Amino acid sequence: MDKKEVNEAGVSWSFRKGFLFSVVLVATGFVVEVAGGAKGVAVPGWPLNGVILVLFAANIVIAALILRDNRFVAWLGGIPLGLCLIITLAVLSFFGGVLPQEPGTGPLWAQKLRLDGVFASWPFALTVFFFLVNMGLSLVWKTVPFKAANLQFVLFHAGFWIALSCGVVGAADLQRVIIPLYEGRSTARGYNSLSNNMVDLPFTLYLQDFEMQEYEPQLALYDSGKDRLEIDESGSTRGITEGMRVAWSGLEVLVEKYLPHAMRDGDGNPVPVDATAGVPYALLSGTADGKFFSGWVSTGSPFEKPAIIQAGNGLLVLVPGSPKKYRSEVTIRSGKGDKGQSEVLEVNKPVSVNGWKLYQMGYDEKSGRWSQLSLVEGVKDPWLPAVYLGFFMIMAGNAIFFWKGIKKM
Amino acid sequence: MTWVEFPYVAFSAMACWGGGSLLDVFSGRQRALKVPGILLMLVGTAIMVSFLVVFWAGLDRPPLRTLGETRLWYATLIPVVGFLVEYRWKVGWLKYYCVMLASFFLVINLLYPDVYDRSLMPALQSVWFVPHVVVYLVGYVLLAASSAAAWHNIYRNIRSTATSDEALSHYLALLGFVFLTFGLVFGALWAKEAWGHYWTWDPKETWALIAWLIYLGYMHANSAKVNKKWLQWYLALAFLVLLVSWFGVNYLPSAQNSVHSYQPG
Repeated sequence: MDKKEVNEAGVSWSFRKGFLFSVVLVATGFVVEVAGGAKGVAVPGWPLNGVILVLFAANIVIAALILRDNRFVAWLGGIPLGLCLIITLAVLSFFGGVLPQEPGTGPLWAQKLRLDGVFASWPFALTVFFFLVNMGLSLVWKTVPFKAANLQFVLFHAGFWIALSCGVVGAADLQRVIIPLYEGRSTARGYNSLSNNMVDLPFTLYLQDFEMQEYEPQLALYDSGKDRLEIDESGSTRGITEGMRVAWSGLEVLVEKYLPHAMRDGDGNPVPVDATAGVPYALLSGTADGKFFSGWVSTGSPFEKPAIIQAGNGLLVLVPGSPKKYRSEVTIRSGKGDKGQSEVLEVNKPVSVNGWKLYQMGYDEKSGRWSQLSLVEGVKDPWLPAVYLGFFMIMAGNAIFFWKGIKKM
Repeated sequence: MTWVEFPYVAFSAMACWGGGSLLDVFSGRQRALKVPGILLMLVGTAIMVSFLVVFWAGLDRPPLRTLGETRLWYATLIPVVGFLVEYRWKVGWLKYYCVMLASFFLVINLLYPDVYDRSLMPALQSVWFVPHVVVYLVGYVLLAASSAAAWHNIYRNIRSTATSDEALSHYLALLGFVFLTFGLVFGALWAKEAWGHYWTWDPKETWALIAWLIYLGYMHANSAKVNKKWLQWYLALAFLVLLVSWFGVNYLPSAQNSVHSYQPG
């Protein structure tokens, strides 16, 4: 149906019906949640989810082609209902964006309606279902017969349809496991952090070395009265450097010497040592309330107490710098005969192996750069290529949209 | 230059924008004031650009991490949109809204000073960092301008003295929406590399989606030929949702475990 042929009364009727339909949809969803004990929706895994998706898509295509002139189907695939469903999704997401999304948290009424897990709830699932129906129908109508002028519409909507539907049904086949690795040991198992089940992996990981770099430590004043760290007057949290002057009210400090890696010798004086053994030391001097002081501060380590200086009412401390980079050198063996391959896992640089992607996730934070433990996450998402196909179609459509918009301007 | 010198920069820029706007307003009667007015406003923006350049150089990382830093970009770029719109369509009033918005963001930075911190956590050390944030910044800038244009249309419609210009707010929203879409997809692609999954319903993601859906709704309302006067209200208010997704999220109960909180302290 051509939009221009629809008179204004028809449009407003379509909107009213769409609004009512969305309200009923959400209400139905909430009734199901309250009646069913707020369990949410569970999507079946492979191959059932694949079969359902294909049947769903086939039904949409057939309905769109055969019932094109049916008034109800025309409304079901029309912009007014689409707009109502978009706003409904936005409103439901609003609850998900305000309330903490961890089932079992938040106010009781929200838990009963499963607003503590909106995105796996029946109201959301029903809305997404009809959103896909709506988008699917209009997509078929714009694709058959195909016109070049519709390319942007088709790419954007088809991409969105594919990414959304495959993301939703593919969630059932997504596996995310945490693999704890200890230096000098190997493992072929991970555990699912949600279910706490152990998962056998089709490869073995051996951790050769976990390595971490930190930013320069920062000098701070610990105010024991307020129990907090004060940064200096200029509001800067710069890393420490030699010759740096820092001031707090009533306190002036000069960094006379800075040793990034040092250890105390027999006489208790810090001396530079190898990077792996030492900790940062700084020699400070200054005046607190008019009185001169001087001494060493250090960050300390799991094996060594930090050095601090009493200055006025506070304590001068050297706070360890935040992590700059951390990485795990691992050997990956897939299969028994495999000699193994050396790989480096780093944040933002995952490594693929046998359909799994491995991510540097964390380490023993108490030990910091002395950590012997590296936490690696393994993710298997067989639906990813389909979702990415959708993403790239969206971007292609988006680029055309941009170009057309600019040209019209 | 650092946050320590920032107040001088902010006040100079605002003084230039304010003075330039005044000259521009009076240039209606005194045409000779037009050029100095525009020049003064451009100087205000030039001050912001120079500050950003020097600030970036001293930081060792792109100044795109904290909210205070993104507000700097915003305050720098949004008057540029106002100038470009005047240059291209001879629409002069938009730049007043733009410099007001920019000053508003500078004032926020003056009232809540940012901490000077050079560090960049490993999760942000990625090739996606700059494109993701810059695309979003440009999108927010365009949609802010679209909202300003919509408020102006509402004002005109209420006064009903002059004809409103819905095309301007529409095209700014359209371009802004394109950038939001790219930002969202770039974010998803980055999330896959950094956190193992492209979508995890992190509060920031959820709010980015809400804002995107709201503007997606606008696109469809416009296609369905909804009354243009209503749509001006829609665009004017839609920007509020964008503001929540930009810096309101940190204050919501849902944000306790957000992976997007890069604020120091």
